[in-house]
Amino acid sequence: MSHILHRSAVFTSCILKIIHMIMSAQPALDSRATPETPAGKPETPAAVIKLVVKNLSCYYGTNKAVRDVTLGIQEHRTTALIGPSGCGKSTFLRALNRMNEVVPGARVEGEMLLDGQDILKMEITGLRRRVGMVFQKANPFPKSIFDNVAYGLRIHGGKGSQLESAVEQSLRRSALWDEVKDKLHRSAFELSGGQQQRLSIARALAISPEVLLLDEPCSALDPISTARIEELLYNLKSTCTIVIVTHNMQQAARASDYTGYFLMGRLIEFNETRTMFENPSKQETEDYITGRFG
Amino acid sequence: MNLRSLRRRVTSHIMGALCVVAVLVALVPLAFILFFVVSKGIGAVNLDFFTQTPKPVGETGGGMSNSIVGTLLVCGLGGLFAIPIGIMSGIYVAQSAGSQRANVVRFAADILNGIPSIVIGVFVYAIAVSPFRQFTALAGGIALGIMMIPLITRTTEEMVRMVPNTMMEGALALGATRSRAIVSVVLPSAAPGIVTGVVLALARIAGETAPLLFTAFNNRFWSTNLLQPMSTLPVQVFTYAIGPYDDWHRQAWAGALVLITLVLICSILARFATRRLERMQTGQ
Repeated sequence: MSHILHRSAVFTSCILKIIHMIMSAQPALDSRATPETPAGKPETPAAVIKLVVKNLSCYYGTNKAVRDVTLGIQEHRTTALIGPSGCGKSTFLRALNRMNEVVPGARVEGEMLLDGQDILKMEITGLRRRVGMVFQKANPFPKSIFDNVAYGLRIHGGKGSQLESAVEQSLRRSALWDEVKDKLHRSAFELSGGQQQRLSIARALAISPEVLLLDEPCSALDPISTARIEELLYNLKSTCTIVIVTHNMQQAARASDYTGYFLMGRLIEFNETRTMFENPSKQETEDYITGRFG
Repeated sequence: MNLRSLRRRVTSHIMGALCVVAVLVALVPLAFILFFVVSKGIGAVNLDFFTQTPKPVGETGGGMSNSIVGTLLVCGLGGLFAIPIGIMSGIYVAQSAGSQRANVVRFAADILNGIPSIVIGVFVYAIAVSPFRQFTALAGGIALGIMMIPLITRTTEEMVRMVPNTMMEGALALGATRSRAIVSVVLPSAAPGIVTGVVLALARIAGETAPLLFTAFNNRFWSTNLLQPMSTLPVQVFTYAIGPYDDWHRQAWAGALVLITLVLICSILARFATRRLERMQTGQ
């Protein structure tokens, strides 16, 4: 009996949210919203699409790694991309700040808009300042902890005391400050793997990116470090839009608001994470999530 | 069955013993060279040897101070030319790895490395000595520099390629330009290896005689003028060794000993600097 009551309460709140959304949606947003736009959570501002991807295809030479992907990434939310190895999710992620241009022979087709601006036409250093990236393997520079975090700031013209406060703030946000505050000028290589990965995140955060892309950031970490990073990501949502590629389905389920499932370069399904894991609409998604495949 | 395992064991021991013999044979020349040079040279090494210039023909005594300083100067000049060119072309090859251009440059470096040093000497004579009708230390430096370039290029390339690509990507992802990422992140990571390579290249060319015969030539007098002929240890050793006087022969041995010692000090300094750089990075 209480079960049915609960169900109907959830249903009503959903309806209310949808009505609220329709009422509060601004006309300018309409054209940028994707059909799947689900309702936002009450504690964060109304859902805005930060990144729009339309018919994106990525090639390495003649190999088409991403096929015709269209999706919208919500501001201040975490979007997880899952799928088996080689499905194109990392390539897709790297296309978002044009890191795939590093690979010779790589090219993209389609459209990517950051706040309505064409990513492919943006100046690359400016784009990467706004769209930061954390890689699978922690990649500290052969510099001190301080200089690692300050690296991006210095590129973009930061100096002096302004640097120091920004470094401290980034290290605090990445929950590393207490562990390193007494050895800021020691080599970053002295840190453990989990600390190095948090340092990479601090380094990316120092230049205040609007979007943070993470490419399997926890794949080399133990569960404790992984939990710390997931907690960190949760706290970052207030200032950042997060896109995370992960092999770990529990991680996607735990840490994300939206999930996209990639298979053989195609985006098979994209939805709210709960819906995706509890009631996927495509058979392939269900097979993958339940472990029958991949 | 038992027989087969016995045979295997015996074969293994024989091969192992052969390897040890090969190592000994390889080390024997080194031991003999060091023994001969030290035993013949040590007698003529004294304070005068380091402070005086050669005495006029026929007089005994004198030293090679001018040759020692000359070797340092000419090698230094060579390094001055070769280090920037070698490091930059090494970076170029490493960064365009896999492309046709990179292969062409690498192949060219290998060919340059294989060119006999006497040919390089003649070439520099033609372009930098003959037009000015003057042997100069500068020309010697150019010749040694040409010899160093391929060595430094190849070491730099290998060291830069050993830097994980993820480091470069990390810098690019923060909005760094390619050149900034290379200078501020990739090069510091490769620095210990590059330093070793540069110093080994210096040590290798410090003993070169042939390219200097037609370029820096020789000088009996104290000279630090780079636009004049300059004496260097290898050329001075050569001159004295083929000379007719016993005193010259003794001095030639002493010169060889000093040269070997200089090269040895160079290598030790390289090790030291490399370790220091590595320690600065890893913080141990």
